[in-house]
Amino acid sequence: MTVFHFFNCAILTFGPHAVYYSATPLSEYDTLGTSIKAAVVYLATALVKLICLATFLKVSESDSFDPYQEFLKALIGFIDVAGLYFALTQLTHRNISQNHKFQAVGLGWAFADSVLHRLAPLWVGARGLEFTWDYILQGLEANANLVLSISLAALGSLMWLRKNKPKTLIPIIYLSAGIVATMPSITSYLRRGLGWHFPKVVGFELFTSLVMAFISWQLFSACQRPSV
Amino acid sequence: MASRKPRDRQMLFDSVIALVFILVACVDLCDGATVVDVYRLIQYDMSGVPFGSRLASLNHHAASLHFSPHADLSRTVLLIPLRELNMSFVREYIAESKPLGGLIFLLPRMFSFENKDGMGSSHQDGSKELLKNVLDELEQILIHTNLPYPVYFAFEDDNIDAVLTDIKKNDVTGQPATATTGGYKFVVSAPEPKKVVSPPITNIQGWLSGLKTDDDAHQLPTIAIVASYDTFGAAPALSVGSDSNGSGIVALLEVARLFSLLYSNPKTRGQYNLLFGLTSGGPYNYNGTRKWLRSFDQRLRESIDYAICLDSIGSWENELWIHVSKPPENAFIKKIVEDFSSVAEELGFKVNLKHKKINISNPRVAWEHEQFSRLRVTAATLSELSTAPELLEKTGGLVDGRHFVNEAAIVRSVKLIAESLARHIYGHQGKNIQIFADNSNLAVNPSYVRSWLDVLSQTPRVAPFFSKDDPFVMALKKELEDHTDEVNLHRDVLDGIFTFYDSTRAKLNIYQVASVTFDLLLLLVLGSYLIVLFSFLVITTRGLDDLISLFRRPPSRKVKTA
Repeated sequence: MTVFHFFNCAILTFGPHAVYYSATPLSEYDTLGTSIKAAVVYLATALVKLICLATFLKVSESDSFDPYQEFLKALIGFIDVAGLYFALTQLTHRNISQNHKFQAVGLGWAFADSVLHRLAPLWVGARGLEFTWDYILQGLEANANLVLSISLAALGSLMWLRKNKPKTLIPIIYLSAGIVATMPSITSYLRRGLGWHFPKVVGFELFTSLVMAFISWQLFSACQRPSV
Repeated sequence: MASRKPRDRQMLFDSVIALVFILVACVDLCDGATVVDVYRLIQYDMSGVPFGSRLASLNHHAASLHFSPHADLSRTVLLIPLRELNMSFVREYIAESKPLGGLIFLLPRMFSFENKDGMGSSHQDGSKELLKNVLDELEQILIHTNLPYPVYFAFEDDNIDAVLTDIKKNDVTGQPATATTGGYKFVVSAPEPKKVVSPPITNIQGWLSGLKTDDDAHQLPTIAIVASYDTFGAAPALSVGSDSNGSGIVALLEVARLFSLLYSNPKTRGQYNLLFGLTSGGPYNYNGTRKWLRSFDQRLRESIDYAICLDSIGSWENELWIHVSKPPENAFIKKIVEDFSSVAEELGFKVNLKHKKINISNPRVAWEHEQFSRLRVTAATLSELSTAPELLEKTGGLVDGRHFVNEAAIVRSVKLIAESLARHIYGHQGKNIQIFADNSNLAVNPSYVRSWLDVLSQTPRVAPFFSKDDPFVMALKKELEDHTDEVNLHRDVLDGIFTFYDSTRAKLNIYQVASVTFDLLLLLVLGSYLIVLFSFLVITTRGLDDLISLFRRPPSRKVKTA
């Protein structure tokens, strides 16, 4: 029964990645290699991030929200963006279109993140006897994260790969990318600074991820138009 | 086509958001696993016949007393607060040994020995007495029944009260919780109870020698003051026995302290040796007392003038009893009774004599002095009980807590004992002399009495579960060492008809579990979510035709739709 629960949570956490891959043209163009490379880049980035966190951050005894520490954390969080930049610009796997490239990179990125952050707690926790909503919420969070990663990758590909984009949209693109990149800090602030509970935070994440996805999709199609 | 796509998307968005909100709304219910200290019902064999709770490990769904009448409870653990216990249930389920998954009794906090204050204020005396009687009856039933399932006691606290409220709500609304309806699961992971091999008994004896007039000390007569210190009860880990026989221990220690003051000065040292004995094995026909007496050499045993045994002297109002087994006409008995009753009269209460003959062929020893009498030593028991208790009754069980003991009664008992002994020792019979008068430096010290009573009321003392050199036994020994010249430990093994099993306390884990139906439902919701997501992605990236063509591909379908 509890293995059943684990199975359910695993479906919720990792299922959308697989569905995304098989449902979109990514599978038709065989972009798995790019995704795997992006995942490897993610692992390397995570390592660098951990080293930076260990070097620059104090271990806080209390669970309170310290603005300075959080600022540092947000700065370190931008290493993610650097990693994503590397994945988008330096990786060349066959000759896939930009359109598919950013999706493949975002997917690999989000999947690696889910495996790294959620698989172990799920395995340890969700098989226990005690029932909590935490692991279901965590699965929902993974979904939000997938959407955010792909949005960020889309915005990144707009910023770095597309040369002829409308001038008026550039600030909006940068602003959106900034917002998406600082999402971890924002949720951290909500959770600890404002004392939001986990369900509320997850709800917020889902909502913002959908909004950001919509915005980036609009931006992307707006940039697409002149070239078509 | 173009107008239809956004509408579909909008609907999907709505449904996803609705799903999220439904899930979020349910979240308030959950909390983490609760861990509660629980104390197991004693498990023992008497002459090979099993009694008590025969199992320790527990893993069942919980129900309250509001279970539906025809439910099968053989895989359910019942959580029963003592306040709501009715004896008809007890008779039906426990005495007739109907199948149950397990039982957990919730005792009010006032029975907890950790709860020292806040007593009496929140509960009226009437309900307190009522609960005490119910618990007393329950304890006797539980001790004398063979229960083939785990039985535990726990104390009410906020966590478990909340759990109980939830369980009751579940039970009232519908079926009791099983694997298909969810609810709470109670888990105690404990190893199989093992027999306690050769349970130790340790008697502590303290010797205060009198003033020798000539060279041979053995000429001096001896007076023994004896109290048994161990307990027996439904829950070994809760059997603190404040009255039976914590009060006797406290009185003995205080008497020892008072006489050590007198005996430390050669001028006031009496011509009697005083022997203080704290004996073990009291609930089991005073097995330890018997062993201890038999270990004496003949000369010492013959030198004992008389022995006073103290048993349950902590909650009486104005009457004490002296129990003897020799006829009251006996000269020694007469003298003892005269001493005690004259002192009692001066202190303003009554001491009555009760004679009960010993039946040598009967293994039951109801009073400690009977062990002395069997060896032809003059002895009497001072007690507040007017009749002899049955085996394993009044042995310091669950109800015998600190709150039912009156310190003032113990102080008066100590005064009575000390004063009577002093009159006997110093030959002041019939004279109204108060040696241990209040406000003198020989007065009974109430704070000493109180502090020892507090210690005893927090120390479970079921002898088979004492380790060798138990800290409590060592503490008693040290205390006697402070007041007497010589202290010896007499170790032996409890023999006879009793066999005990260990694992007296455990941790109860309370899990809130989801039902299988919930998991199935969740799987269904997740499956449809993924399917919807898939369709949504296919439609947005490849178009609706692609999605339809995915399903049209099988030729059989093609024929059908065509």
